[in-house]
Amino acid sequence: MADAAFEQLLNLEMEMATFTSDWLHCDQLSNYVAQMVSHDRRDPLRHSNLLSSALNELLEMSFRSEAQEGELACVFYRHEQIERIELSFPCPSQQHRFYAELVRGLKHGGKLANYVKVIADETAPLEQAILLGLAVNYDAEIELRASAAEALTFVVDLPLERLLT
Amino acid sequence: MTANNPSPVFTTQFDTSNQEFVATGVFRPRSIADIADDLLLLRDKIEKVHGVFYVNLKRVTHMNSTAFGALARVLVDASYSRPELKIVVLASSVVTWATQMFRHLGELSPNISMEIYDSAFYPGQAFVEDKSFIPILRTQTKMTWRHERTILPRHGLRGGMAIADICCGIGDFAMLVRKEFDPARIVALDHSVASLDYARSVAEDFCVRDIEYTFGDASQMLFESDQFDFVTCRHSLQIFDRPELLLRELYRICKPGGRVYITNEKNSHCLGEPRAETIQWTYNEVAKLFRHFDMDVEMGPKGSRLLLDTGFEDVRIESFMVTNHDGDPQEFADVIEAWEDVYAGEMSARRGDSPEFVARFRQGFRDHIFAALHPRGYAGWPIWAASGQKPL
Repeated sequence: MADAAFEQLLNLEMEMATFTSDWLHCDQLSNYVAQMVSHDRRDPLRHSNLLSSALNELLEMSFRSEAQEGELACVFYRHEQIERIELSFPCPSQQHRFYAELVRGLKHGGKLANYVKVIADETAPLEQAILLGLAVNYDAEIELRASAAEALTFVVDLPLERLLT
Repeated sequence: MTANNPSPVFTTQFDTSNQEFVATGVFRPRSIADIADDLLLLRDKIEKVHGVFYVNLKRVTHMNSTAFGALARVLVDASYSRPELKIVVLASSVVTWATQMFRHLGELSPNISMEIYDSAFYPGQAFVEDKSFIPILRTQTKMTWRHERTILPRHGLRGGMAIADICCGIGDFAMLVRKEFDPARIVALDHSVASLDYARSVAEDFCVRDIEYTFGDASQMLFESDQFDFVTCRHSLQIFDRPELLLRELYRICKPGGRVYITNEKNSHCLGEPRAETIQWTYNEVAKLFRHFDMDVEMGPKGSRLLLDTGFEDVRIESFMVTNHDGDPQEFADVIEAWEDVYAGEMSARRGDSPEFVARFRQGFRDHIFAALHPRGYAGWPIWAASGQKPL
């Protein structure tokens, strides 16, 4: 259930098999959707550029889950200065636990120090760099929500309008 | 070098004379292997330079974590293997994710720093950003609009077009175009936050919600290519030290078959009667003063050549004279007075002109005002409007 304060803007659904058939889909989808979501923001072009960057990171992460079955669902909401992305994609339970651990790690202090460490460490999981990067560079609040079996949902709140000013 | 498909297009190159690694485009590789050649180029060049090594990312519109991590590690490794080297990453203030991401590199190595490319973009911007100048800018647009509203259709502007007004300043021209030509879409870009704030407040006051104002660097815009039917850039190429760079961007964002419309002045041709000689002397000096600050306010008649050199075809050029007879002569006089304040005040002082020179310089403006307000006088301000079509 979405937070009542958040207004739904857009709902995108795509077969995972179609989505993962081409890496360019991450770039194309993030740009296309970001332009639509950002059109009525104060500076639509820069808002769209920033939203596309954050969204692309999430789409690339779901692309790397390599699931072929099921659906990718991406729902956009807005409340005041915050854009919320709810991204659901198929994910085996083992991988689910891995993501849950990463998201738990974001709740502890020292996000910035961890991020700096992860940037320099080529053995660190890319997913960790992505989630820490969203938290540190975009001031994102990230939650992991229980979803259908063998699927998970990231809920990412992005205060982009504030970052732009 | 250029990435092969399926990655989005990006390029990297090394400028030996500036010791600058320049990246442009969208860096969203699936794996580090997709950008291996680019990283190799970076590593190779870092090893060969001395002093300061620049990494210019001003024209990178997107970069994913894969590319950022790989790039960061190359720079950090180099900063430790060559501790005598300073590495400077150049990012654009327009691209927020870049400034957010690259600020961390300094925490990884004291020899890496980030510079945000922002001020000094237009040499002349600082002179006209003062809020007290806004009424004059509005008056200038009001005076030129009397001519341009009939000129613009001759250059291809008609209703229902997608329009971009680049270097829109306080946004008044975009507002007039919107009202007169009812575009399907209109975007207005400027590099001055203060001017855009003013433009947005005016739009809000008039309940205008369909002009997209955006903060941006006209020489490296975030717009995708081939977006607009009609691109305008008024009185701005002349206060930019690299107009050809800006024209290439105007060309890029224009649709094939669309047109780019530019206006520029030739200040030495400002004229007045009576007191023509002192007026003439002062405006010749205005041209020299701007040249001192790397601006060319004599650009107007060069519009045709500039457009052709950029690759436009079907180039059209015409001139018009804004005069004290167009409307209220006092408006013309107010504009000249504002010019005097900026040119003979701030700019002349910054160049270090003598009091004797400034006194003579000011006299020409005062004589121009005298001519404008004289019941039998004439005062003129010539402007060249030029446009070219992007080939289909």
